[in-house]
Amino acid sequence: MAEEHNKNSERPVAEKGEHIIARHLVDDDAIKEEKNLVIDGVDVSGRWNTFIVTRVDSEFDRSFFDEIQKTVVGSRINRCWQCGMCTASCTVTPLYRRFNPRAFIYMMQLGNLKQLKKYIDVAWRCVGCYKCSQRCPKQVNPAEMMEALALLIKRYFPEEIKSKHQLKIDEEVKAIYEGMILGHGRLDLANLHTSAMRKMGKTTELLSDKDERGAIFKMMKDGRALSVLRLGKPHKWHKSKDAIDNYLKHTGTLEQEGMI
Amino acid sequence: MAENILVIGGGPAGLHAAIELAELGVNVSLVERDTFFGGNPKKFKYKYLFPDLQPADNVIGELVKRAESNNNIKKYLSANIESFKEDGKKFNAVIKSSAGSETKTFDSVIVATGFEHFDPAKDSKYSYQLFDDVIDIKDLERMMGEGNFTRPSNGKPPKNVAIILCVGSRDRHVGNQYCSRVCCTVSVKQAIELREHFPETEVYIFYMDIRTYGFYEDLYWEAMEEHDVQIVKGRVAEITSGPDNTVICKGEDTLLRGPFEIPFDMVVLASGMEGGPQSPEMAEKLGIELDEHGFLKQANVTLSPFKSNKDGIFLAGACTGPKAIADAIVEGGAAAMKAYIYAKKNS
Ligand SMILES: Cc1cc2nc3c(=O)[nH]c(=O)nc-3n(C[C@H](O)[C@H](O)[C@H](O)COP(=O)(O)OP(=O)(O)OC[C@H]3O[C@@H](n4cnc5c(N)ncnc54)[C@H](O)[C@@H]3O)c2cc1C
Ligand code: SF4
Ligand code: SF4
Ligand code: SF4
Repeated sequence: MAEEHNKNSERPVAEKGEHIIARHLVDDDAIKEEKNLVIDGVDVSGRWNTFIVTRVDSEFDRSFFDEIQKTVVGSRINRCWQCGMCTASCTVTPLYRRFNPRAFIYMMQLGNLKQLKKYIDVAWRCVGCYKCSQRCPKQVNPAEMMEALALLIKRYFPEEIKSKHQLKIDEEVKAIYEGMILGHGRLDLANLHTSAMRKMGKTTELLSDKDERGAIFKMMKDGRALSVLRLGKPHKWHKSKDAIDNYLKHTGTLEQEGMI
Repeated sequence: MAENILVIGGGPAGLHAAIELAELGVNVSLVERDTFFGGNPKKFKYKYLFPDLQPADNVIGELVKRAESNNNIKKYLSANIESFKEDGKKFNAVIKSSAGSETKTFDSVIVATGFEHFDPAKDSKYSYQLFDDVIDIKDLERMMGEGNFTRPSNGKPPKNVAIILCVGSRDRHVGNQYCSRVCCTVSVKQAIELREHFPETEVYIFYMDIRTYGFYEDLYWEAMEEHDVQIVKGRVAEITSGPDNTVICKGEDTLLRGPFEIPFDMVVLASGMEGGPQSPEMAEKLGIELDEHGFLKQANVTLSPFKSNKDGIFLAGACTGPKAIADAIVEGGAAAMKAYIYAKKNS
């Protein structure tokens, strides 16, 4: 990311923060530079006015914890003790190292949006294979916690999502989502992901992107793709389906206030 | 003629040993340096005990009652062992108490002089005694025993509380490398009690490991899953004063790999257990050995943990290392049996 930024931006004077030793350890956002700056009557223009914003966390914000705990998908957030079995079993982490369900849950517990924000680009990568939830010793259900995370990000960083990925939830994607839930009783995020990409006209990107294509091949080869597909329908699904159909007949919609 | 056995220390371990021996018909002399029996749980007014949060009085009160009502136990309060000598297989001791000095001959001896709480003031990084709102688990235990959960500085309910584990334990800097075993469980218990008392108060536990061993784990799960106690990985390295009458805990969140400086209304230090001055004192007086942790040395840590390295002198409870009340009571019973067998053989 840092390289990209430096390549594209026009900076005739100097690269941002180029005088910082171990520059790679400092995020772009954390560097403050002014062209001209006077502090206490001393002109510190030039290379002396590079400042690094403090990295110290000075607050635990429990309101996020409370908010997430109130949702159906995030209700077990209080259980996680950070053992990392979710991340260790995750289908996605070996391909995108920065996708780390354990760490995301911790950031959510402590309300550390500053950290979460750094991961908006990967946070939605979960393919819904539920391997993490199967392994989790505390039954946190981390797979669904990743949905809670997506909701959180959508809510608190709408601008960033738009600017970075041009994602928009349209009626068609919603239809795919509902079809999946009603048809199989389970969300197949891999399927949702590809369908959404297709709807957005990104079919080529899906197959041409080296990462994406490589990931698919790798997953087919080592059997992970199969373990994702093997997920069956929930036990006695037809009964639940009847109930949902019945509900839909009366209300006409799946959506309900606060029922995320 | 009945055997004579000396029990030094009237905490859970010593009380239980004395009661068991008395029920076997032994003449027991129970020597306690304090003005009351019951040991540390009584001294610091523990109110509810882990693991099941039963009233401490069920256990401590009950032991004291049984000992006090047993006529085979001669009780010495505000007392100590003035001198101690071996005499063949027997022991001559001078017991000094408010009633004066008394010389007696014993067939065997049980040492149950327990532990002392680590004094956090010895480790300046925690600013104990510098700020009113920095207290430790024994202070909180006593406060809660008196029905008081509020901030010492202003008597108001705290908005947030930090509990810091491993204070005075597992730290070469303070000279204690061992784990004090009970402080994790005491801490999650206190976290639950705080949350139950003040549901609005946020409670965070700063940990390196959480060692609620065996079934004590249940309490740890309960603290998280039923009381939303938040654990944060990292040991706090410094406590300074913060804005609005708060204290700031500085540490590294080792999971996020970043420093934090968080203001809290109240900080509770989980100070550990030490052998105290009584352990070397006993070692010297009775001619038994001290171990490298400052507790009394067991003859064999696995085969005979309740024996000292001297025949006829037995050990029970926290004087041989950190442990819970149930363990202290079990050892009191085991030491009583050993002391009884030794006395029977030699009297
Ligand atoms: C904050 C805290 C909370 C705890 N809460 C719990 C709990 O909820 N549940 C639980 O199971 N355990 C708990 N524990 C552990 C418990 O306190 C110990 O297991 C228990 O006190 C050990 O009993 P003891 O008889 O060996 O020692 P002690 O309780 O230390 O008793 C030793 C006795 O010997 C006396 N003595 C010492 N030196 C001399 C001397 N030279 N001459 C005469 N007498 C002497 C002392 O005055 C004292 O009365 C807690 C510990 C701490 C630190
Ligand atoms: S969600 Fe479960 S598996 Fe993942 S870190 Fe938390 S407790 Fe461990
Ligand atoms: S459900 Fe998502 S987070 Fe869990 S293992 Fe699968 S991809 Fe990883
Ligand atoms: S019991 Fe817990 S707090 Fe106490 S020393 Fe051991 S690990 Fe640290």
